[in-house]
Amino acid sequence: MINKSLTSTKMTGQVTKNWSRIKYPDSYIRYLIWLATLLILTFSIEYLDIPLERLMGMFERMGYTLSNRYYPPDIGYIMDLDYMEYVVETIQMAYLGTLFGILMTLPLGWFGSYNLTPSRRFIFPIARLITIGFRAVHEMIWAIIFVSILGFGMLPGVIALTFFCTGFASKLLAEEIEVIDMGQVEAIRSTGANLFQVMVYGVFPQIRVAFTGIAIYTWDVAFRAATVVGFFGAGGMGWYLKRNVLQVETERVSAILFSIIILVLISEIISALARNRVMKMK
Amino acid sequence: MNFIKKTILNTDQTVLKAEDIIAYRSRKRGSRIFVYAFLSVIVLWSVKVTIIEDTDWERMGSIGKVISSAARFFGVDFNLFPDLLIPSLETLMISFLGTFLGVLICIPATWFGALNITPFKPITYPIGRLLMTLSRSIHEIVWALFFVSVFGLGALAGIFSIAVRSVGFIAKMSAEAIEDINPGPIEAIRSTGANGFQVLLFGIIPQVIPQVLSVIIFEWEINIRRSAILGLVGAGGLGLVFFRQMNTFNFHGVTAVILAILGIIIIGEFVSHYVRKKVT
Repeated sequence: MINKSLTSTKMTGQVTKNWSRIKYPDSYIRYLIWLATLLILTFSIEYLDIPLERLMGMFERMGYTLSNRYYPPDIGYIMDLDYMEYVVETIQMAYLGTLFGILMTLPLGWFGSYNLTPSRRFIFPIARLITIGFRAVHEMIWAIIFVSILGFGMLPGVIALTFFCTGFASKLLAEEIEVIDMGQVEAIRSTGANLFQVMVYGVFPQIRVAFTGIAIYTWDVAFRAATVVGFFGAGGMGWYLKRNVLQVETERVSAILFSIIILVLISEIISALARNRVMKMK
Repeated sequence: MNFIKKTILNTDQTVLKAEDIIAYRSRKRGSRIFVYAFLSVIVLWSVKVTIIEDTDWERMGSIGKVISSAARFFGVDFNLFPDLLIPSLETLMISFLGTFLGVLICIPATWFGALNITPFKPITYPIGRLLMTLSRSIHEIVWALFFVSVFGLGALAGIFSIAVRSVGFIAKMSAEAIEDINPGPIEAIRSTGANGFQVLLFGIIPQVIPQVLSVIIFEWEINIRRSAILGLVGAGGLGLVFFRQMNTFNFHGVTAVILAILGIIIIGEFVSHYVRKKVT
């Protein structure tokens, strides 16, 4: 575009402007996309039978619910020692889930990265499929399935979080491996190193910092998931939440939610500090 | 090297001596051993508390029993697939509407939470950041419970919980994109006498729109998997079918539902990959 106008300036000595606000094919495509979006929106609203008239009184009703039912949070309930024990259990569950998930991530990230996978035709798609499968199924569904297999307790929670963390971190790790500098890998490979040695000496030093960052971030996300995994019987604070929700003890529920928010804030601050420190090491 | 010199050795000398490095390494090794020992103690303690003590080994029985109860899930109830089409469609619609509503709620949150355009820094900036953290820190199941108690059962509660949950990510990413923009065009537009709204419309939004769109599409992809479970607490879609199959002990049906979820998520991933490539 710019080149064209420049040449025309050079040839004739004056700018021949052929500019219009609406560019011919692009604008139609853009308007069509907007139209399609609107159509899908209206169709979805129509199809799901959403009571739009309820939206009018939404803020009123939300304020009413919050102030009448949830307002004075029962702080004494969460200051209990039993509850603190459950909080510690939740943290432990998130910690173990992240640890096992990160350990499973190492082979999956290696096999699922396009540039370093041992076999592009067989192992790469399988590793990617496993990653997508772990990622696609929500951690709650994993929790329900493992509770039904292993019974109530924290073990199914740990396993569900492991699966969740594996799916979450493998994709990030594979993407991180795909952008490394291949020169060093070539150098190690040219000394006759086997696949494993290439991984250890050529790839891992390059992704070490990013890997630590991913691990910390995964812990942060896993903690958020761990607070509710217990909802279907997999241990931790979620069980408290479920019990009080079923008993419609809304003031206690709001106290529990308050404690979850505080804990998540703390974990977020810790993870941000740790990640900053790790990034500085680079 | 600079980092080592400044923070750990506290020297300003230009050449590091070998003994400096050796001293640094040995000091570092001590702290590293301490960190690893601490972490492994925590691991052992957690394993002891969560896995060894808390599990009901008696009830679980032998390995063979666990395998046999896991094996109930192997096998797909193909008869269920025709009944899954409409819930899948509903799930996709809930995720779509939820993302759309989330984007609408995002606009004020982003405006308040971006450091360079926030209207009144000491008050609105913390409000924006608080909104983002609040929405990200509460799990979608909990949001859904709250909205079910406000709106009653149905898709509307699911849509609202997804919208509120996705505000955090979209607003945070968009605010970061707005904070890194090139100030030149803004100055140019301001110099023509534009007011604040016009600067926002013509100077800031065109610069960030590709990034924001790709973030929105990415969030939509995440929202598909979220909306697939909201039926568990009464918000319609595939989660409801899952819950029903689980409660009637039709384990092959459960596998079928999971396969359907996998299917729509793979579709979503392809669409999002393609569209994000187009957009950026």
